[in-house]
Amino acid sequence: MADAQRHVARFTNDSRIPGWDRAADLTKEPAVVPDAATTEVPAELRAAIEDAVRRFPVGDSAFIPALYAVQEQYGWCSPEGIEQAASVLGRTPAALTAVATFYDMFRMEPLGRKTVYVCTNISCSLCGADELLEALEAELGEAPDVHIRGFECLGACDIAPMASVNGIYVGPIGLDQVPELARQIVAGDDPLPAKQLIKRPCADPKVAEK
Amino acid sequence: MTDTLLFKGIDEPGLNTIDVYLARGGYEQLGRALKMEREDLITELSGSGLRGRGGAGFPMGKKASFIPKGDMQKYVVCNADESEPGTFKDRELIQKNPHQLIEGLIIAAYAIDATINYIYIRGEYDQQADILDASIAEARERGFLGEKILGSDFSVQLELSRGAGAYICGEETGLLDSLEGKRGNPRLKPPFPANEGLFNGPTLINNVETLSAIPSIIKLGAEGYAAIGVKDSSGTKLVSISGNVERPGNYEIELGTSSRELIYDLAGGPVDGRAIKCWFPGGSSTPVLTADDLDVGYDYDSIAAAGSMLGSGAIIVVDETQSVVELAYKLAKFYAHESCGKCTPCREGTRWTVHMVERIKDGTATPMDLDIMAAVQEQIIGHCLCVLGDAMAMPIGSLIAKFRDEFEAEIEDNRNERERKLAEEFAAAEVEIEGISA
Amino acid sequence: MPRPVEKLVSLTINGNEVQAPAGMMLADAALKYGDVEIPVFCYDAKIGPPVGACRMCLVEIEGIPKMQAGCSVAVTDGMVVHTDTPTVKAAQEAVLEFILINHPLDCPVCDKGGECPLQDNAFGWGGGLSRFIEPKRHFEKPLALSPLIAIDRERCILCYRCVRYSQEVAEDFQLVLEERGADTFVTTFDGHPYVAPFSGNIIELCPVGALTSRPYRFRARPWDIEQAGSVCTLCPAQCNVSFSVRDERVLRVLGRDHEGVDDGWLCDKGRFAYQAIHVDQRITAPMLRDGGQLRPVTWEIAIEAAANLLSHAGANTGALVGGETTNEEGVLLTHLMRETLGSHDLDSRPGGALELELLRALNAPTLQASVPDLQYAHAVLVLDCEPVDDAPILDLRLRKGVRHHGVKLLIGSSRPSALDERAAHSARFAPGCGEAFAAALGAELAGQPSASLAEAAGADPADVVALATELREAGEEVVILWGERLTAGPRRNEGARALLNLAQELGLDGQDGGGLLEIPSGTNSRGLREVGVLPNASIGLGDAATVGRDSEQIGEALAAGDLSAVILLHSDPLLDQPSSALWQRALGKASAVIAHAAFLTPAVLEHANVVFPAESYAEKEGTVVHPDSRVQRLRRSIARQGETRAEWALLAELAARIGNDPKALTCSMVSARIFEQVPFYAGLSLDLIGGVGIRWSEREAAASFPAAPAAPFTLDPPPAAASPNGLLRLGSFRSIWASPDVEASPALAFLHPRQRVELSPADAERLGIAHGENVTVASNGDSVTGLAHIRAAAPDGTVFLQTSIPEGSAALLEGPLVEVKRS
Repeated sequence: MADAQRHVARFTNDSRIPGWDRAADLTKEPAVVPDAATTEVPAELRAAIEDAVRRFPVGDSAFIPALYAVQEQYGWCSPEGIEQAASVLGRTPAALTAVATFYDMFRMEPLGRKTVYVCTNISCSLCGADELLEALEAELGEAPDVHIRGFECLGACDIAPMASVNGIYVGPIGLDQVPELARQIVAGDDPLPAKQLIKRPCADPKVAEK
Repeated sequence: MTDTLLFKGIDEPGLNTIDVYLARGGYEQLGRALKMEREDLITELSGSGLRGRGGAGFPMGKKASFIPKGDMQKYVVCNADESEPGTFKDRELIQKNPHQLIEGLIIAAYAIDATINYIYIRGEYDQQADILDASIAEARERGFLGEKILGSDFSVQLELSRGAGAYICGEETGLLDSLEGKRGNPRLKPPFPANEGLFNGPTLINNVETLSAIPSIIKLGAEGYAAIGVKDSSGTKLVSISGNVERPGNYEIELGTSSRELIYDLAGGPVDGRAIKCWFPGGSSTPVLTADDLDVGYDYDSIAAAGSMLGSGAIIVVDETQSVVELAYKLAKFYAHESCGKCTPCREGTRWTVHMVERIKDGTATPMDLDIMAAVQEQIIGHCLCVLGDAMAMPIGSLIAKFRDEFEAEIEDNRNERERKLAEEFAAAEVEIEGISA
Repeated sequence: MPRPVEKLVSLTINGNEVQAPAGMMLADAALKYGDVEIPVFCYDAKIGPPVGACRMCLVEIEGIPKMQAGCSVAVTDGMVVHTDTPTVKAAQEAVLEFILINHPLDCPVCDKGGECPLQDNAFGWGGGLSRFIEPKRHFEKPLALSPLIAIDRERCILCYRCVRYSQEVAEDFQLVLEERGADTFVTTFDGHPYVAPFSGNIIELCPVGALTSRPYRFRARPWDIEQAGSVCTLCPAQCNVSFSVRDERVLRVLGRDHEGVDDGWLCDKGRFAYQAIHVDQRITAPMLRDGGQLRPVTWEIAIEAAANLLSHAGANTGALVGGETTNEEGVLLTHLMRETLGSHDLDSRPGGALELELLRALNAPTLQASVPDLQYAHAVLVLDCEPVDDAPILDLRLRKGVRHHGVKLLIGSSRPSALDERAAHSARFAPGCGEAFAAALGAELAGQPSASLAEAAGADPADVVALATELREAGEEVVILWGERLTAGPRRNEGARALLNLAQELGLDGQDGGGLLEIPSGTNSRGLREVGVLPNASIGLGDAATVGRDSEQIGEALAAGDLSAVILLHSDPLLDQPSSALWQRALGKASAVIAHAAFLTPAVLEHANVVFPAESYAEKEGTVVHPDSRVQRLRRSIARQGETRAEWALLAELAARIGNDPKALTCSMVSARIFEQVPFYAGLSLDLIGGVGIRWSEREAAASFPAAPAAPFTLDPPPAAASPNGLLRLGSFRSIWASPDVEASPALAFLHPRQRVELSPADAERLGIAHGENVTVASNGDSVTGLAHIRAAAPDGTVFLQTSIPEGSAALLEGPLVEVKRS
């Protein structure tokens, strides 16, 4: 389960992993496929899931797009949203949570819609990513609706240390730029426009020669 | 050094749009390929000597030739789940020249007669996925995708599927499970995807770079392409160089170039003239090489001869100021975090390794633990369902083998540090007790 | 898909040549044919294809550089396998060391201790040492996974068996893995309990003590118990079970894998309803009504009283025989009735007597499909039954056929079926219109499509066409799995004819791998008919010398005073018979009601004059016949509880007291007599039946089955389904959980159903009824209440209610139309 506070969600303390101490609530009914007759689904969520089913008609291929749709609708993969998606897909909600919890990008808790992933994998950490994460966390710790976490290699080691702000890759981020970036994240502004990966030319000198 | 193929004019503004791509002669190779017999096309791909650029380096044409013939639904799946630490070449190809990939993919689909095809892109590549979505729509609009394309009998569909953050989905069968909407657990092999892949149909899975190279192969011809590079490592290769270097980035090289040239001449070498402690030649899953190995030619066989692997073509340079224990810790934590949990040796072995490195860090390990750590890596290798376990065990094993002295020194230092702290705490506690008794 | 043909291959295992069927997994072949055990955790052939996850079974195969998982490599000719080399040994030790990292060593307090595959494998293949010195994980434990199952996540070794079972065998998909890597854990959605008809199987599948039975926890150790094999008689599926017995008490029920019957699974009723054997409310002493109250009396007094009442009533006695009655008890009852009291008014079918000729035709050995046929047929048509309620284990078999063998599943039923989503096509018809539906389908197959027949059935003609097309295209091996209700009620004979015509159109007579398979209303319905517990048949389905009254006529005769006494042998007509009203009148009027019962169910409690305690199935001996003609043997596994006596002996004693001793000294004497007297059982013996049973229809003696008329029959046009006209059609069903045993078992009581009123969304909206609201269903002045249950799948125009529940049963209402409104 994604964890708001610890940037490495796993293994900091082996003795307590979320969910492992969870017993079934015996007053609940078993979670079978939610009946379409008694499950209300917001129209836009239904439309998004049905579109995914159209594009990925075979088997359960629409699961991941459906989970993204739930996350978009509710800000996280809430049990209510999962049940609604399960009803549209005609599968049990457990089938969906099994998939959702496998992937790092699905939030199983309401952690904030503004997501900041700071890459802390090898190349970035060789260039100071751990310090960057610490600084950003200190700056954004209390900010509302912001979910900041360390992340495994984001595939942008050429701009190390870097972060993905709502999917926009920025880097290399100097520690001196952290306050500015934090302000932009909170305000919902374009993050460090000059440092966005999308604008970066290819490093290979042969490309520039042409 | 030869001209660029994959990166040719890649920074040309608007190359990601179909008009610019077409103006540069885009989709011409598709037209040529569609006029070829399927078997000739596969022969051409085999003849080019192109090896899969995802990591395993399996000959692409051979893989395509394994796809059975017949009426069953076949698939091409492009693996765009680039997540091997240190690797970011596919990202640049997708973002800047998506049509080259789509063209290559359609040619491959035609070669094996796959009418339904997917690109599986990692969820984190949000901007790149949006670009690819737009490009697929353009290609569909212009008739490169759809019914009976370019006047041929071949009808072809392509959908983009986004992952959601799991390294293991870069493993081809884990990717297939994820594409089918399941947890991305690798599958038991055999059956191999060529026989039973996506939705149990024959499936050709290739990396972005591999598929992007196909238009060049058609253009140059098998012989022309094979002439680039060295024997058994033909063509150009994108190398992602990162870590402690001056100019990290992607470089298109001819295979066989010396590693020193790549790290020093292209990427500028470590900052401030520092020495190289070690380097990963093919992503974090490959055994590390040291400064002594810098003159090894950068091709599949030479790197293998040096005791490592070319992998995804990602060089991570670690300079002399870095701690190997920290490096091992990052590695182990990464693989433990990304282990899917399906098979025992990987699930438990990666986690145990994290624990052992943690004990080195907190000063409770002894040099004997290094032996256990090395033995645990041996217990993982060759016992797992897929290669993820080995992907941790091999680099960690190589770090212990090559830097044992440094590990031992750090164990010693951390023990001393811990004892010193304990002694301090003990002393502080005594003072307090004396204070009470006084 | 037809059964695979077995072809033998030769391979070498550890230097010894071994012959095994091609395609068999190496781990199975080595054990079965080579006497070499390859240890496994995640693999169990009955869950489905191997996944190779635990890596315990690594072996070396010559010519393959990497070690291979023995669970997932199919044997091939010339394969050379080593399972005892140092490399293999090292791999086994490595995997066990990894597995034991997290596993607590709490074996002394673990329920699995002593019968634990992990203990066995660690002992057999482990290195004996661990170098893991970090603290193990500790979690709160045990936790409830459901009222029946406890989960201990510390002990879980993530072998995937339970979740694969839930997803690929039971297909309830409630139990899943969450998270990834070493954080992976087994769980349900958002804290919901894992409650499903077959949930208990995961307890038996778990190779460690992570999933344990809450009713069994800490009741016994493996060395305290004895295993006693018998047959579960709680439903017609007759699963083979093994009772774990300690001090003459059944503490647990395990499956006794039988490919021909249960495929190694049990439903939760079969697994946990053993508790009803040992509850206080069970009747374990004879009782006599005295001053309006039933009071325990001695056996002598009870037998004397019963004998007197029966002697007095003589030929004016009727008898209803319930499905849990054995063949031996059935035969002794016919002796008591026909040869002692001179009455022919006895019946074991609740739906009214079927013409004997038709009964013979339906039971003809050449027309019988077997249980495994469900798994391998080209197509299975489920007709007017709901397997998960009526014979639960068959539901799993059908799912397996669809999933692994490409069986084309087709469904024709009134109520939406649990199998609908696995079906190639599903059709609905109006309740009670199975006959018209079968006739429509038969006509369609015969090339004489009749939309009017489909309409008479209240079905969509397009559905009939679609089913017929699927059946025609499927291939010759077709099984029709049909419910007894098709041949019950006023149109029963026409229903049987329509079904036989349908079978004839499909060429099922004599078809290998295809045929008819009935799900009867009672466990041993088939056996009881074959030994003549019918008003119109003698033993061996011979012609009856005198035709007596059937169950409905017995009720009417009692109500009219034409009969004065009735024997209820394991039967409570207020629960089992279609009309409660009739039987309330009948029993109210009867001067003597002699009941053999385990519980004070309504009829027993209110009307019985003498009550004899019924043996539980764990106490009983005798034979029963599976619906697919397999004769099975019940073996006494525990001492009879309290003062309970053998019922066969009691029936013999009653006859002797009345003056006609059947001279049955032991139960096996009666069995032997049956094997002699039923021509098509000839040559059977208890030894031959043994622990796995024997299908009589496959034996030579089957040729002496009485001849039956051949289809096609000319059909009488069925009446049209009632038109709702603002009311709703009444449909009824009996839930798997509607049984006194479930109600009495403390662990299962939470499942015992309360009435619910199933409505379609459109009907609910029209009637202004919301989901979960209290509603009243009424007809002819009678009414029942229940909670509204709105289902998207429910057909418009029909309301479904449960039967066989003590309060508010659908049997209280008279169809075909009812009024539904908010209470």
